[in-house]
Amino acid sequence: MHNDPGLQPERTDLAWRRTALTLVTAACIFLRWMPHYGWFVGTLVAASLLVALGIAVTQRRRYHRAASGIGTGAVTASVRSTAAIAGSVVVLAALGIYTVLYLPLQH
Amino acid sequence: MTAHEEAPDTSAAGREASGVPAPAAAGSGAGANAAAEQPDRSRRGISAWALGGGTEPDARFTLANERTFLAWIRTSLAMVAGGIAVEAFTSELFTPEVRKTVAVLLLLLGLVTGGGSFFRWLNVERAMRREAPLPLPLIAPILAVGGALVAAVLIVFVIWRPA
Repeated sequence: MHNDPGLQPERTDLAWRRTALTLVTAACIFLRWMPHYGWFVGTLVAASLLVALGIAVTQRRRYHRAASGIGTGAVTASVRSTAAIAGSVVVLAALGIYTVLYLPLQH
Repeated sequence: MTAHEEAPDTSAAGREASGVPAPAAAGSGAGANAAAEQPDRSRRGISAWALGGGTEPDARFTLANERTFLAWIRTSLAMVAGGIAVEAFTSELFTPEVRKTVAVLLLLLGLVTGGGSFFRWLNVERAMRREAPLPLPLIAPILAVGGALVAAVLIVFVIWRPA
């Protein structure tokens, strides 16, 4: 019989990894801006990839934290992880709006 | 991704079947355990300040809340990527005004839902720690209205575009 609690950390781990992959996808689409807007967009590509890399590097620790939390019955929510990812998305979107509205097109 | 994947099993039957104690019973004991095996002092400080007391909820609920937050983040990243795609790929289809309007709308939608998803996550976590009812998601109507707005701009463009 499968025990559902044991799969909870795995599902959460996969959700984090999907999020990292989505960031890589966003970085790839940012790349398409580079011919039009120049080097500034390169910082957006690098920033997205860095956040994805940050998730990948810290994921093992996050998984073990969740797994041991299932054992003891409680996990202290990681405010730092969620705030960092949400903050990154806000900054990326704001830089995107700045690029669309204020950067001159190059041809 | 299915809906039930993100939802915690709140039924008493599910809790008993899986052998996890009810949140009320887990209370102080589980909280002490979590504190004992959390060596990262700085994170505990930030979390304690942001989460504002209460007792640790069932670990499965905390993890389900985290997954729901991540689903919102991916939604907002899709909006951001969509905004970029509109600006990058549609120069032959749209006039510059329509292109920039749709792109900025999508990017704004991504910004608001991305930022809002953190506060949604924090409010749900706080409510669970106090064993209070879960708050309604403000970002859901924002996403719905924003998506409708983008569709409305496109409909107006399709009807009025120069042939």
